[in-house]
Amino acid sequence: MNYVHRHVLEDLITGFEGSSNPHHLAVLKRPTVFSVLARPGREADARNVLANLQGVSVRISGPGEWLVVSEDVAIDSLARTLQDSGTGLFDAVDQSDGRVVLRLSGPQVRKILAKCLAVDLHADAFPVGASAATQCCHAAANLARTDQDTFELVVSRSFAGFVFEEILEMGREFAMTAGFSAG
Amino acid sequence: MASLIHCPHCGSRPKEEFSIRGDASLVRPSPSASDEEWHRYVHIRDNPKGRYKEHWHHAFGCRRWLVVERDNFTHEVFSVTDAAEAAKAVQA
Repeated sequence: MNYVHRHVLEDLITGFEGSSNPHHLAVLKRPTVFSVLARPGREADARNVLANLQGVSVRISGPGEWLVVSEDVAIDSLARTLQDSGTGLFDAVDQSDGRVVLRLSGPQVRKILAKCLAVDLHADAFPVGASAATQCCHAAANLARTDQDTFELVVSRSFAGFVFEEILEMGREFAMTAGFSAG
Repeated sequence: MASLIHCPHCGSRPKEEFSIRGDASLVRPSPSASDEEWHRYVHIRDNPKGRYKEHWHHAFGCRRWLVVERDNFTHEVFSVTDAAEAAKAVQA
């Protein structure tokens, strides 16, 4: 039996396949997302282990709690890595099917996000590599700055359609386009 | 903005990210306490004006319970601590 992987935003993105504008909302087609919770008292050790993982980005989601996001590392392989390196330190759960990763980029991306986010996104307060669990368009979201003008939002699958449409609406004044990420 | 709460884990956040449970100064009575005492603990609340300790849940951020000490008249926030830390301080 074959299962065909279908992204939850597939219906919303059909018809948007033009070339992308400077302001672009890329939806990662098959991201790897794990949530990691440290054992009590082992938070610092867990953080060190996570920081040394290759090819992943670690986002803060609470004290002793992280989201590990990757575009390149496959789910199975990251699951093994986390299992092996986290014994006694933390527990990790695969969230890849439950979360949607949206990548916003463009010179005015902060202006777009400011319409629905209450986190200070100035480079001094939120530098590249910073992340925060917060609220975006009234939905719980994890925000990370991956580059000077690039942000990634991790939202739960059930809210993804709503957040996606809201962000496009907010990006309309900058002619924001949307599509699945090439990678 | 008057309604910014400085979460010890997340930093300054708007009140929309939180939900408020209520009075944080109540102490749970012992299981063998009288019905009258339990009734007071479960149902009877003061409605003070001024400085007040409340349990706030940072529902859209770190999802931790916090103890927020604030003035409910002027909206001034005096202190925000993690509820687990606050409980440890009470037990110590």
